[in-house]
Amino acid sequence: MSDETTTAPAAVTTAAGDQETESSTTPNKPHITWSDSYTKAHDAIQSLTSILPSVPPSLSSSETPASCLLRDSETAAQISKLLRQPDSGAGDDNLCRWLYDTFQSSEPELHLVVLRFLPIIAGVYLSRVNLHKPLAGFEAVLLALYSHETASRNGQSITVNIPDLSHSSIYHETNKAAKNSATELNLAVISPTLEPYGTVRSMKRGQSSVAENGENGDLNRRIHLPWELLQPMLRILGHCLMGDKKDEKLYEAAIGAIGCLYERTLHDLNTKAMLATGSLLQLVKLASESDNVDYTEITESNTITL
Amino acid sequence: MSGNESAESSQADVDPSVRQVCANGICMQTDVVEAKLDEGNIQEAESALREGLSLNFEEARALLGRLEYQRGNVEGALRVFDGIDLQAAIQRMQPSVTEKQPSKKGRTRSVESVPCVSQHAAGLVLEAIYLKAKSLQKLGRLTEAARECVSVLDAVEKIFDNGIPEVLVENKLQETVSRAVELLPEIWKQAGCYSEAMSAYRRALLSQWNLDNDCCARIQKAFAVFLLYSGVEVCPPSLAVQIDGSYVPRNNLEEAILLLMILMRKVYLGKIKWDPSVLEHLTFALSVCSQTSVLAKQLEEVMPGVLNRIDRWRSLALCYSATGQNKTALSLLRKTLHQHEEPDDILSLLLAAKICSEDVFLAAEGVKCAQRAITNAEGSNEHLKGVGLRMLGLCLGKQAKVATSDFERSHLQSEALKSLDGAMALEHENSDLMFELGVQYAEHRNLDAALQYARKYVDATGGSTLRGWRLLALVLSAQQRYPEAEVVTDAAFDESTKWDQGPLLRLKANLKISQSRYIDAVEPYRNLLSLVQAQRKSYGPFRNAPQLEEDRVNEYEVWHGLANLYSSLSHWKDAETCLEKARALIEYSADTLHTEGMMLERQGENDKALAAYINALLVEPNHVQCKILLGALLAKMDSRMLPLARALLSDALRIEPTNRVAWYHLGLVHRDDGRVADAADCFQAASMLEESDPVERFSSII
Repeated sequence: MSDETTTAPAAVTTAAGDQETESSTTPNKPHITWSDSYTKAHDAIQSLTSILPSVPPSLSSSETPASCLLRDSETAAQISKLLRQPDSGAGDDNLCRWLYDTFQSSEPELHLVVLRFLPIIAGVYLSRVNLHKPLAGFEAVLLALYSHETASRNGQSITVNIPDLSHSSIYHETNKAAKNSATELNLAVISPTLEPYGTVRSMKRGQSSVAENGENGDLNRRIHLPWELLQPMLRILGHCLMGDKKDEKLYEAAIGAIGCLYERTLHDLNTKAMLATGSLLQLVKLASESDNVDYTEITESNTITL
Repeated sequence: MSGNESAESSQADVDPSVRQVCANGICMQTDVVEAKLDEGNIQEAESALREGLSLNFEEARALLGRLEYQRGNVEGALRVFDGIDLQAAIQRMQPSVTEKQPSKKGRTRSVESVPCVSQHAAGLVLEAIYLKAKSLQKLGRLTEAARECVSVLDAVEKIFDNGIPEVLVENKLQETVSRAVELLPEIWKQAGCYSEAMSAYRRALLSQWNLDNDCCARIQKAFAVFLLYSGVEVCPPSLAVQIDGSYVPRNNLEEAILLLMILMRKVYLGKIKWDPSVLEHLTFALSVCSQTSVLAKQLEEVMPGVLNRIDRWRSLALCYSATGQNKTALSLLRKTLHQHEEPDDILSLLLAAKICSEDVFLAAEGVKCAQRAITNAEGSNEHLKGVGLRMLGLCLGKQAKVATSDFERSHLQSEALKSLDGAMALEHENSDLMFELGVQYAEHRNLDAALQYARKYVDATGGSTLRGWRLLALVLSAQQRYPEAEVVTDAAFDESTKWDQGPLLRLKANLKISQSRYIDAVEPYRNLLSLVQAQRKSYGPFRNAPQLEEDRVNEYEVWHGLANLYSSLSHWKDAETCLEKARALIEYSADTLHTEGMMLERQGENDKALAAYINALLVEPNHVQCKILLGALLAKMDSRMLPLARALLSDALRIEPTNRVAWYHLGLVHRDDGRVADAADCFQAASMLEESDPVERFSSII
């Protein structure tokens, strides 16, 4: 999965916690009128009522249905539970269809509603992908996200120009005269160009004549972890461990996850991943040892002078 | 200040554990004032202070507020501060509008902009506003707190038009300013207003607040952490802040890395103390974007004595190994594993073994490392035993390739398989291991087992890796099941993107060629050439980006392969054109000379062919195909050359024991020399190998 789609769930977790971020993370496109958004969100909630055992009436009557849907923990719990059902994700899965349609509505807030469930979908999908179960429902949702991302990247890769301190930057000066701007900057490709047509083909998986191996009973819990998956996982874990607003449960779970991931990278002897996971582990340790002085506090003394 | 000091010393008999307020050289205990405050009588408390210390209204209020704040009564402090019209006080402090120059946020500071009001008064008011902000923050009224904090900063910017002059500022005022600068982004973060937090950080770092080194470093680090982990991507700094060609980061990650690098440099310059978390954040940031070579440079720059040397060597080894500089990584690991350092460090042992497993000449060293790792895989490291066995198997397999005798080779090969099987017993879900076992069995020509593992691997990876499909197709081709191999190759096309399809196209062509369908093989080659073209256009300036290199189609190989194909079709002219293209890319290449020789030989120009083969061997002394062809040609040309031919062919077989063509020609040599039994053995070997010959060498996948 691409880098952008992975910062998205991170944005979701932060956005879900508070009101004010909305405006900054999901700027409304000018051509979408309020009533349009309202209707779409309202429709989404209506169709959800036929899928979930119960949808709180406050959702249908809300004036801001999309953001209510995003923040309603009860509904989220129900959706998560359905996604984790052993037979979820097939081609005829109504919930997957709902997620697909909701995402296709191109409402930024409804996008967030779908993205909120991306970690669960990805997790369930990856652990089942080699069991030859029908997963076309999940794949449809994932491919919808993928093509959205492909379109928004416009054929560009996501790159990072590693700074070179021998040149001045906005945050520091050097004595050296600025060289010609054709510098030896290191260009890192975070996520290569997405192929617009590579998408539909993965749907054919399972039909090929060779993959007919019949060992379905063997539940493979260890998933294949290429860098394309590992890198976004690391960024998400970084967010859970080092981001603001630490949720105790999330933090503990993230510590457990990073420990597992570190061991996994040892098993794979994946050096790059060893560095990244090792540094997060080390940071957790350093954070627990730090004395947390608040430097914005005034120095207290019994003698107060003017 | 000095007045205060003398006042304090004159009142030295006052118990320092008792709270007191001092001003204008007088000190008084606060018990009376505090009692009045507790009764809710602010005005009486205020007048008590004004009388006791000869203060004006604002001064008294500011002191009272601070007293309340310090007593932990933030609500009381707010009530006191609300009594002062702080905004009016700020207004009074600003330089008159006519004098005001357009504000310049440059790095140049001019001393001329001395404010017209006393800094003391300013410090008093600003501290009051700051404490108001802190009180509001503690009460959870974050937006209001931020607003107060902003007003402190706005006021400072108005008072000091060109940034705070270093020499002319009063201590207390500076302290308040620094704290406010540091507090504002924290409040915005608490309030969940991330884009405001981002602007507050940039304002803190890009304006002149005359922050001390520690304070500035703290803000830089907090900002870097925010940029790295907040998950919020807000707009990068505007180009307006750029000063003559300086570097402006374009996204969060770039900005975070820049700040962390600056912090590292401040440590070397002795400006701030070493903070291990800065290096860890930088490690995370750089490894996530695969720039471990930059990280290595940073690690090398760390002053001696800061990091444990073994930790540093190990981290450096990880960095270099991740960038593919395995030789450097290995020499660092050897230092770590030196008997006086940490010879039993399991991580270094495993990594060293892995690096050694990729080079035939290091394989023996790798075997030792892997064995030591297995011995040390106990206690909390027991879970790494499987990894040790896997590395041992890989090293033994590699070592088998340079074995000096058949006996040694088959011994090493079976030991390798035993090791890998042992690893499999411990890690039966490890897909990499499935692949490696597949390759190992394939090279051992146990094709049934190889097929089984190749299938398992494709299954476990959900068909997402190209090498799985390739191995499967090659094993099927070795079993002479060409149609199935083609089906697999087609499936692989469906599962991959066009940039990755180079090896598949080549495989497809080779499958056609093996079935003597030469004309059909031209099409995949045509596709390969257009892929090369597209690649050249699309990568453009990023050509040297190392992480892309491995995925690229090798243009030389395409022209060379096509030349071979045309020469099989006896299209000499086309073949020559392709060779010309190949020569333009690599001027002297054994492969080009090899094809040239073959073409000449088939056209009956034996002497020229001979010269081409010999030249090829001069370029690459271990070129197996040329050794074979040279041996065969010599044997054919002159029976006196049979011993030389035999030596050449044996040599080829030493390098590549499964080469059926070499066995066949060796058989011919034996026959011509009258050693019929030997010849029969060779022919038998050749025929057996032919039944298990893949269209490309198995090792080409790794």
